[in-house]
Amino acid sequence: MISMVDTFSHIFKVFLDLVYEDLVLYAVEYAGKLGAKYAEARYHRNSSTDIVSRNGAIIGAGYSIVEGIAVRVIVNGSLGFASTNKLTREGVKEVVEKAVTQARAHSKLMKKPIEFADARLGRAKYSVVEVKKFDSISLDEKIRMYQELWAKVSKATSEAKVQVLFTSHSEMLEQKIIANSDGAYVESRIPRLRITYNMLVFHPQKGTIQRVHIYGASGGLEWLEKWNLGEELVKEAQTYERILLTAKEPPKDEVDVVVGSEVVGLIVHESCGHPSEADRILGREAAQAGMSFIKPGMIGERIGNEHATVIDDPTIPGSYGYYLYDDEGVPARPRYLYREGIIYEHLHNRWTAKIYGTESNAAARAMNYRSEPIIRMSTTYFKPGDYSFEELIEDVKKGVYIKSYMEWNIDDVRWSQRYVGLEAYLIENGEIKGFVRNPVLEVTTRAFYSKIDAVGKELRFYAATCGKGEPAQGVPVWLGGPDLRLKGIKLGVIPT
Amino acid sequence: MKEELLTLASKLVEKALGEGFSEAAVKITSSRRTMVKIANSEPSVVQYWNTLNVGLYLVKDKKMLIVELEPSNIEELDKSIRELIGIADKIMESPFYAPLPKPDKKPEPIPGLVDDNIIKVLDNPVELAEAVIETAHRERIDFTAGAIDLAYTEKALATSKNVELYEDSTRIQAYLRAFAGEDGSGQWALGSRKLDRKKLEEMASIAARYAVDSRGRVDIEPGVYDIILSPMVFGNLLDLVGRMSSAFSMFMGMSMFVKNKPGDKVASEKLTLIDDARNPELPGSTSFDDEGIPTYSKPIIENGVLRTILHNSKTAAKVGAKTTGNAGWITPMPWNLIVKPGTHSLEELIGEVKKGILVTNNWYTRLQNYVEGLFSTITRDALFLIENGKITKPINKLRIADSLSRLLNNIEALGRETYDIQWWEVRIPTRLPYVLIRQIHTSKHTI
Repeated sequence: MISMVDTFSHIFKVFLDLVYEDLVLYAVEYAGKLGAKYAEARYHRNSSTDIVSRNGAIIGAGYSIVEGIAVRVIVNGSLGFASTNKLTREGVKEVVEKAVTQARAHSKLMKKPIEFADARLGRAKYSVVEVKKFDSISLDEKIRMYQELWAKVSKATSEAKVQVLFTSHSEMLEQKIIANSDGAYVESRIPRLRITYNMLVFHPQKGTIQRVHIYGASGGLEWLEKWNLGEELVKEAQTYERILLTAKEPPKDEVDVVVGSEVVGLIVHESCGHPSEADRILGREAAQAGMSFIKPGMIGERIGNEHATVIDDPTIPGSYGYYLYDDEGVPARPRYLYREGIIYEHLHNRWTAKIYGTESNAAARAMNYRSEPIIRMSTTYFKPGDYSFEELIEDVKKGVYIKSYMEWNIDDVRWSQRYVGLEAYLIENGEIKGFVRNPVLEVTTRAFYSKIDAVGKELRFYAATCGKGEPAQGVPVWLGGPDLRLKGIKLGVIPT
Repeated sequence: MKEELLTLASKLVEKALGEGFSEAAVKITSSRRTMVKIANSEPSVVQYWNTLNVGLYLVKDKKMLIVELEPSNIEELDKSIRELIGIADKIMESPFYAPLPKPDKKPEPIPGLVDDNIIKVLDNPVELAEAVIETAHRERIDFTAGAIDLAYTEKALATSKNVELYEDSTRIQAYLRAFAGEDGSGQWALGSRKLDRKKLEEMASIAARYAVDSRGRVDIEPGVYDIILSPMVFGNLLDLVGRMSSAFSMFMGMSMFVKNKPGDKVASEKLTLIDDARNPELPGSTSFDDEGIPTYSKPIIENGVLRTILHNSKTAAKVGAKTTGNAGWITPMPWNLIVKPGTHSLEELIGEVKKGILVTNNWYTRLQNYVEGLFSTITRDALFLIENGKITKPINKLRIADSLSRLLNNIEALGRETYDIQWWEVRIPTRLPYVLIRQIHTSKHTI
């Protein structure tokens, strides 16, 4: 049995080499000598093995390694960052000098010096252990899995046709050594599995339905059983066929809306997680992903009713964005961003913590060695309540249940947002009554968190890649929540 | 480093063939890049990268492997190729396989891809940062944010079909967003191979002026409006259209052109969209693609008619077409997009509108369905109501929520002045004017 990761482990050293530890420590020490008030170095290696298929045929296999050292310094109150994949003393020396020189040169434009808050920093090594290692299933078997998946999905429908099933299977490994001049030293090793797919279901008279979706988690191939793609994708194809053939327009009057956990997860990520990033609030992302409706001084203000509690927690085992120490070496913990309807805590790194007069809560993450650590979410979820799904719908006279989505967006202060249902149902007198097509939930953040009147008890998580920063960084996250119910919502439709 | 990179690329091709691969292509990219990120009218971070990236395309018995490496030392590469042959044995023949092409001719180099002025400021772009901040503050704004991103890149390509090519280039990508008062904001961007301080200052001025002019916004009801899109917004939507013109997007069900073939009318006759691969001023320009095929300029849409689906040799072989010099080993992509300008000034475009909206910026465009082209995007920054041919007031955010097909077909008029745009939301460098589009749906939160 051979797997690609197994093969490459011989070539590229799965275990971190002492050489890199030396280079990381050298970078921190050398930056100090050059006058940096703060210095941080990170050896960061991301590898990925990918198998890409279309309609059961393997288009190709891919392997990538992104590996190098990143250096960040504060000089005269100015922040410098530089990185290289030349993993030699000379290579590292050059980028340390570059980071220090450029930070110093730009310090004359600084109105307020950049400083970091004091923090309890980690000295630790940790590793996520795969229950089923990537090499426990041979490459042949993995390929067969996608052939069989197509065999099942292509036969799932009768009147409509599954025209395209594109899949991308990625086995990833992220390894880091982080050290800084304040004493942090953290080594980590996190394997992840991700499957992305695009399904296009076509009916000659009724048009098409499309679903692009990601499964992702930290760990190994044990997730394949949990995700059970063979069964799930057949069900999806059949559902989309029925939507094409039978779905009706959503009701135009005000109705109750049961928002499915997948959509809830996205909503809390967009309208609670992002606006709670303190760097956004302070304007550091103003020209890119924008700012926040939350302004400095708004901690303690009400944003929703007592049901609205949203937590971001990097430490959930198996989560796609799992970590125990952030990239500044700060130990991770759950953060209550909204608590019972109140804006309660922001996501901080050591820079924003200093400005807020608080401690970092370990939100600094970098995508790879080419990226500076910036404030990111990990697993953001809505706190579950105590309703079963049946209880959520039983006293709805007229309503819509939106289970999944495709199109969505939110404005750049995270206030006005739109989610277009993909799998969505009409509810009448407490019962599910067939499909509705493309219902549009378009609400403000305050309206969403204030209109919740019942919260389900089953917490589910969904994977996503969250984008932010310049150059843009995509990092793995989970989003989650239970199903919940909104009272009195006017849904829209998409123009035809 | 020209000779070193070419030698390394060729050596790796030989190595791959020696180890038992039947075909190989190696693309090596070496780059130095500096970026100043600006926030609150000061640098938030200065970033520098020095990277060497090696891409390998390897084939054995029609089985395709794509490998991206950033080798910490060159010896590792030799070893990795030896090991890769074992993997190739395990995978299946790809339905997308076609032999690497043997180019008929050598590409003609594009003069002027390197601007020494960019190389000079790579080490210290502080003056540029200072200049754009200062220019923006000539208007009565409160603060500004943005980025100035400079790079010098060398690219070497060798393939088993006797291709050995090298090209070096510089580029600048910059954008600035300005904020004024309670609600005023404006943003503009620039992408170029050349450093032109005047253009950078113009970018800062436009952003600042829009910020000042958009203070005191009022709500309007969403509905169907005539809309004028700035090059920032039109560029964002054409970025999608450009990607959808790739044959690979069509195979994958990620294109509104799935149902079309060249010759079909897909847009208003006013629209001509060109993949201008050899434009020396736009940052996507290159004289050869990843298969070594010389690039050339071609219309994707000409006077509203779909003319070209972008191909590499693999996608072309699959449908019996010819490569268009847009490889990507797997995915063909446009290099630069250019929209043929019209005859109107911006004022004249506004003058054509009885009741409508001028949209200067947007972000977060997402699709409900790529094949149907159903999308929405949320406006940001300055947005103005137009009544009876005049801008009457700044207004609050709306969404454009419609289909790409209607958007392209309802184009009524184009501006005569073009802008070179590239930023977060316009990844493919694009040269284009303002555009007037009739009767487009907008939407807004209901509560």
